[in-house]
Amino acid sequence: MKLQCPSCGGQQEPQLICRQCGAPLPAELDCFAALALPRRLTIDPSALEERYHELGRRVHPDRFASSAPRVRAASLAGTALLTRSYRTLRDPASRGLYWLELNGEKLAENNKQVPPELAETVFEVQEQLAELRGAPAGQDGALRREVEARRDELGASMDELREKLAYNFARWDESDGSDRAELVAELKSVLSKIAYLRTLIRDVDRELESPKAA
Amino acid sequence: MAYSDKVLDHYNNPRNVGSFSKEDPDIGTGVVGAPECGDVMKLQLKINDRGVIEDARFKTFGCGSAIASSSYVTELVKGKHIDEAIAIKNTVIVKELNLPPVKIHCSVLAEDAIKAAIGDWKKRKGVAQADDPKGEPSRAATGSGE
Repeated sequence: MKLQCPSCGGQQEPQLICRQCGAPLPAELDCFAALALPRRLTIDPSALEERYHELGRRVHPDRFASSAPRVRAASLAGTALLTRSYRTLRDPASRGLYWLELNGEKLAENNKQVPPELAETVFEVQEQLAELRGAPAGQDGALRREVEARRDELGASMDELREKLAYNFARWDESDGSDRAELVAELKSVLSKIAYLRTLIRDVDRELESPKAA
Repeated sequence: MAYSDKVLDHYNNPRNVGSFSKEDPDIGTGVVGAPECGDVMKLQLKINDRGVIEDARFKTFGCGSAIASSSYVTELVKGKHIDEAIAIKNTVIVKELNLPPVKIHCSVLAEDAIKAAIGDWKKRKGVAQADDPKGEPSRAATGSGE
């Protein structure tokens, strides 16, 4: 599917900026296409950032301040799309979610079961947080240290999950498609665990940071 | 986004927070989660031999709407027969709490929790009373759509 540049008439694959005249193109692009990246899950973060800044400069509305309204509009839309795409792909977990979406899969579909060990952890830790919340200020030192140790454990679990996510990304990138169902299931499983753990860590951090009313 | 008064009421004064002993044979426990936002909900139902829900407890870790949905559900199911409770649709919760579209998944979670808790109770009773003649799960089982 080719796209014709409204400014110079050049034919090209849909992309953010015309290859021939450098004008912003009014194209509907997915996040990978917006950043002119191949559809691969494994992304080098520094290359991604560099690409984002480079394209950001080239599509920037300041460059087209005196252009036709149609071009200015495309520059604005392109800038917004670029930023949205960058944010979506930058965080591996959100990239994974977006990938599922691109592949017509839904994270929550047939996926309401919290893995039992993880549910156990959630309830245990939340119990600890409630205790800490209830303990009088000044007498909560031991509890606080327990929760802080828990926080470290949870952080380590998150690191493991992120490694597992990277591994799954690589598997998907190398796959010939024959094991698609398994890859989808695995990706959903890791992403769900990350979501539950992230919420729990957020709650722990809030509790540890909240100043206790005397 | 503003929460409705009913959500705030349930959030600030949640009904039936807590848990029953998992060892109690009359208790059905359902733990469900919303992987999109990381919310986790535990619903426990105390169900008598006639299949009537006598009491309910919940613990939900998540947003205000998820807490309100589960709190409301504990009130809603009390006194109902499990066949009736398992047919409860999330739309009832949406309507009662006036949930906005982005929070509809919280009500779905509460609906799923009811089904999971009753399923757990049936499983436990099924093992304990394998030859119970009045066990008629087929009709109720059709209620678990989605």
